[in-house]
Amino acid sequence: MAELRRDPITGRWVIVDTDHPNTPADFEHEEHSWKGGVCPFCYGNESLTPPEIDSFRDPHTGPNTSGWQVRVVPNKFPALQIEGDLDRAGSGIYDMSNGIGAHEILIETPYHHKDIPDLLDEEIEKIIIMLCRRALDLVKDRRLKYIMVFKNYGPAAGASLEHPHTQIIALPMVPKNVKEEIEGARRYFEYRDRCIFCDIIRQEKQDDERIILENNHFLAFCPFVSRFPFEIWIIPKKHSSYFCHMSPEEIPDLAVMLKDIISRIKKIFANPAYNFIIHSSPVETAEGVEYYHWHIEFMPNLTRVAGFEWGTGFYLVQTSPELAAQYLNKSATHGAQQS
Amino acid sequence: MPELRKDPIIGRWVIISTERAKRPDQFGGQPERSPDEKSCPFCEGHESQTPPEIYAIRSKSALHNSPGWELRVVPSIAPFLRIEGELDRRGKGMYDLMNAIGAHEIVIETSKHIDNIADLSEEQVAKIITCYIDRMMDLEKDTRFKYVLVFKNHGWIAGAGRIRHARSQLIATPVNPKRVKEELVGARRYYDYHERCVFCDLIKQELQSKDRLILDIDGFIAIAPFASRFPFEVWILPKKHSCDFTALDMPARLDLGRILKQVLSKLKKGLDDPPYNYMLHTAPFRREKLGYWKSIDNDYHWHIEIMPRLTRMAGFEWGTGFYICPLSPEAAAKFLREVEV
Repeated sequence: MAELRRDPITGRWVIVDTDHPNTPADFEHEEHSWKGGVCPFCYGNESLTPPEIDSFRDPHTGPNTSGWQVRVVPNKFPALQIEGDLDRAGSGIYDMSNGIGAHEILIETPYHHKDIPDLLDEEIEKIIIMLCRRALDLVKDRRLKYIMVFKNYGPAAGASLEHPHTQIIALPMVPKNVKEEIEGARRYFEYRDRCIFCDIIRQEKQDDERIILENNHFLAFCPFVSRFPFEIWIIPKKHSSYFCHMSPEEIPDLAVMLKDIISRIKKIFANPAYNFIIHSSPVETAEGVEYYHWHIEFMPNLTRVAGFEWGTGFYLVQTSPELAAQYLNKSATHGAQQS
Repeated sequence: MPELRKDPIIGRWVIISTERAKRPDQFGGQPERSPDEKSCPFCEGHESQTPPEIYAIRSKSALHNSPGWELRVVPSIAPFLRIEGELDRRGKGMYDLMNAIGAHEIVIETSKHIDNIADLSEEQVAKIITCYIDRMMDLEKDTRFKYVLVFKNHGWIAGAGRIRHARSQLIATPVNPKRVKEELVGARRYYDYHERCVFCDLIKQELQSKDRLILDIDGFIAIAPFASRFPFEVWILPKKHSCDFTALDMPARLDLGRILKQVLSKLKKGLDDPPYNYMLHTAPFRREKLGYWKSIDNDYHWHIEIMPRLTRMAGFEWGTGFYICPLSPEAAAKFLREVEV
């Protein structure tokens, strides 16, 4: 009998197929293939992007020249634009607003073919530090209410350029999914006086069925209510609402974990497309909120979302998170034996 | 300047991105691997390859599970939810779960090996609608079920299988799904304040402005919604207010068949047979529950949402529930109005 599981935060139900679970080989995913061509994100092509906003680069090199390790540029085709005043309007029964916001691209590496598992730990740390730095800068703009950090890897995951990059979008309102998550977390806190995410960490450690990795500061596990097969959450063990307030000790731990998680996924599936999203609280107060706990949600792109999911918001997961965690744990030992 | 638009029913924001706008002809269907046609289990003569039928429209003399049918409904061979058993709601630490009880049925829309419902006759499309209604009324008798979603996946990207034989699906769920609830709550909230149905208001405004109107025939309209999530998203709504799709009378079923066929034919012709999903949005089963459905007859309005799948969902959409639509619904409606079918 398959199980219906309910997300304790948003109340979303998910169908987990525990009867006839899919093994990794059962998924017909679209492999990320490299097309090539002129890439505006490659080393030496700095003039092909809009002028850079920030970068880590060698001393004595100027902006928009070579000599960088990580670069942040505005999106050439932004979903939202930074200039102007927020102008909300109505039109009959409809409401609208102009698209004020920011849309920045963080180019993770000068190398076109290097994804996170191919980078050195220090290089990944630089990406994380830069993401925090950009978020801290954007929150100063009072028009912006929420900062969304995410990565699309591969065309099936929505990436239009293949050179690995992460995107930062600052929005003039708190988006619906985020609001729902925060509301759910707040309700839980009001009732129990505990952070729901801290409770999830406790329960995951106790159940010990879905955990993939743990280090000093972070825990990685397949959530009980996964929406997608092989969905993985990475969460800081210490309560904190904003990712951009990460402590210097946490950053290397996160870099190592991110690299390990993506390497394991790539060992199981041939270069799958994936998304990850940083879920963080809207920045309102300096010290953060007790009820929300930032985390990263990682989703390999193995299935196709169809009419049922769209129509109901119900998801069907054909590999239970318990089984996915087993595969992810096995892939690590397998790798260790090889090396 | 891109524009943010808010869906007046559920409050979802959408970014209509004019900067990254594509011309309508830049979206197009993708060629797909085609499976072997001779072995199609859904064709007439291959009835033994499916589980025994639940429902069929067939000539009186023809036997069950044998040729001579126009439309068949069979249980899914890989059901999301199973019909047998009890619900058994329970907790596991802080988590809640229950058995996946439900029904999952496949509507085989034609006995011929035709892939797109757009290529069927209006009368055949009307029979599909009748079949949906008959099946929904039958599933309503099972008190374990709260909702039936009727939907279609056309094309691989949209979640269809490899076999290209037109079918749609019905899934009965033991809980009211989140998306459905959101829409119901949004519609009720609007009604509580305005004492009017939000969909009726929307129809009035769309008929007046005409910018997003695609078709207006026989008591139904097809529009590109103001806050479209996807390029060429189309909604079909009955002009006459009704919350319940199953109350549709015979002449109206034919009219709905006509407009549905026309919209799908326009998409097929204008966009080179794109993958798409459509789903029926209608009132849940209204069983006695104190005051729960007191105003749904007035505040909710059934409709069909069609979503061509020309763009990919990416991290941003997953994370925020915000959609970036690279084509304005006004441009999409103009393009579709001009496609002759």
